[in-house]
Amino acid sequence: MRLLVLEDEPALRETLAQQFRAAGFAIDAAADGVEGEFAGLEYPIDVAVVDLGLPGRSGLDAIRAWRKAGKSFPVLILTARDSWQEKVTGLDAGADDYVTKPFRFEELLARVQALVRRSGGWSQPLLKSGAVELDTRGQEVRVDGHAIELTAFEYRLLEYLMLRAGQVISKAELTEKIYEQDFERDSNTIEVFIGRLRRKLDPDGKLQPIETLRGRGYRIARNGS
Amino acid sequence: MTRRAPSLQRRLLVTLALLLLVTAAVAAWSLETLYRDAGLRAREDVLDAQVIALIATADIDADGRLVPQNLVEPRLAAPGSGLYAEILGSRGSWRSPSALGSGLNLIAQPSAGERQFERARLADGTRVLGLSLGIRWELAEGETRDFVIRAAESLEPWYREMVRVRTGLITGSLLLGLLLLGGLAIALRFALQPLRRLETEIMDIEAGRSESLGAGWPRELAGVTGNLNALLVGERKRLERYRATLGNLAHSLKTPLAAMRGLIERGQSGQEALAPQLDRMQAIVQHQLKRAVFGSSATTLTDLPVQEPLEQLRAALAKVYADKSVRATLAIAPGTAYPIDAGDFLELAGNLMDNAWKYGKREIAVRATPWTAAEWRRPGLVLDVEDDGRGIPPAERARVLERGARADESVAGQGIGLSVAREIAAAYSGNLEIGESRFGGARVSLRLPGR
Repeated sequence: MRLLVLEDEPALRETLAQQFRAAGFAIDAAADGVEGEFAGLEYPIDVAVVDLGLPGRSGLDAIRAWRKAGKSFPVLILTARDSWQEKVTGLDAGADDYVTKPFRFEELLARVQALVRRSGGWSQPLLKSGAVELDTRGQEVRVDGHAIELTAFEYRLLEYLMLRAGQVISKAELTEKIYEQDFERDSNTIEVFIGRLRRKLDPDGKLQPIETLRGRGYRIARNGS
Repeated sequence: MTRRAPSLQRRLLVTLALLLLVTAAVAAWSLETLYRDAGLRAREDVLDAQVIALIATADIDADGRLVPQNLVEPRLAAPGSGLYAEILGSRGSWRSPSALGSGLNLIAQPSAGERQFERARLADGTRVLGLSLGIRWELAEGETRDFVIRAAESLEPWYREMVRVRTGLITGSLLLGLLLLGGLAIALRFALQPLRRLETEIMDIEAGRSESLGAGWPRELAGVTGNLNALLVGERKRLERYRATLGNLAHSLKTPLAAMRGLIERGQSGQEALAPQLDRMQAIVQHQLKRAVFGSSATTLTDLPVQEPLEQLRAALAKVYADKSVRATLAIAPGTAYPIDAGDFLELAGNLMDNAWKYGKREIAVRATPWTAAEWRRPGLVLDVEDDGRGIPPAERARVLERGARADESVAGQGIGLSVAREIAAAYSGNLEIGESRFGGARVSLRLPGR
């Protein structure tokens, strides 16, 4: 999941970037509306956290610009004043949810995860595909009710595929979304991790939860949503 | 120091005094002119009559002079009487005894049938008006002879009278003017008395001796005093709110501060120990900040149509609570509007509707209707928000609306939004009522009175 943090206060921006990174997101950070608008338009962003307290209302302007350009990734706004006026203005401009400052990171994370999940078409935090269950709240994966231990990277990979269950995801997209911008990109790494995931989820090869579409990418079947 | 503008009373009095002065002067002048002309004409008529009387009694004497045979007018006989006459002819002239030694010296020489008035002075300086009439006298033999008959009368008595009249006129108009000015001053004092009362009452309010303006103002001032009172009430409420907010803030911060001090004194100043207290302080600040957001004065507001903000809120909440499949119906009577600050209204309706979305399961209904009463020129507003949640038990209803709900109570939910909404409603002299909705959940009714 690639997340854009648009926040002018350096300390909060860094803290958020660190915390989201620790929660498995690839982070793009922007300090002002112009930079943020550009990132939202040009990078493959999955979700954005935008501070409305930016100088010159540029946070709102950035959201409007994204929506005008047809970008539909979910946007969560951070408001400092906690007035309905500000919330309504932000939601009206195209944001999808709000969190009031000061906030606990856990709450922000839960809201962001819910937005991502909803944008993938899941209305519940528990994602299911056949025997595979992924709980986004606790980051737990179960197959036939048995908990499976995954590394952080494996989890991110599976979560991304599960959230977009039914869709074909190319290796390029996975690379882009799971690595941050500056990371070295190597599609072979994705293949290696997909292989490991398959062995962990389906050691006997009976379930075949991750389908490979040659030359196009991977897909997880969508059911039970 | 800026120069003070002249008072209304002074402006009116100065203008009216000038106007009166001019009017009185013009009136006195025209009266005097009329009187003088009439007086002069009367004097001329007297002289005319004298001349006719002289002719009537005159006859040619032995010397060939024309002489009045008897003097009908006794004043002609008495020297220095003020009435003089003479008849001039080619054979000699006659002079009335009154004119002897008077130095009467009229110069007009009218031909027969002509008359001429003139003014002259006697030897002693007496001003006289003279009339000279030319006549042609027929003698028995069919011969004619020309004479000039003159009469003159002293103008001194008339001049004296004119002075009296003029004095009378000036004194009279001055007196009249003063009387009118005095009357006007009294009328103005009476008319401006409510303004003076307003001034005194405002000074009383400034000095803290009184809280608002009294009743019983004239129609022209009622609008101003009514608005002023509303402004005063609004300001006082705002001040009370600020005080309450400050007080609440200070008091509610004391507890976590004391707890932190205690922890530090016991050497437990680690992150784990202090974090809950910090969270609590954050919650308190957030809570109080939320209350401080509202607070526009209700006196100068224009009508806000409520349809659009309610629809915005529904759209916003539908996004925020996208996981819930809630059916939310808005029923707004067409044209429903209320004079309220847009931010305050969003805060009020937002808090009520947020609760409905938070606790409701499938059904939410929002209804806005005007609230009319005979004594209101502008209608009030009733906003009902109903949900199908578990509702609020009657015993709890008073508590969730409670003023000054402390931050630690508000953590439980429910309280903060409603108590903030209740305070905003109170700022508009309105209130919140909690009841049961037709879906079995809670119904919160906001009632804002009209004005």
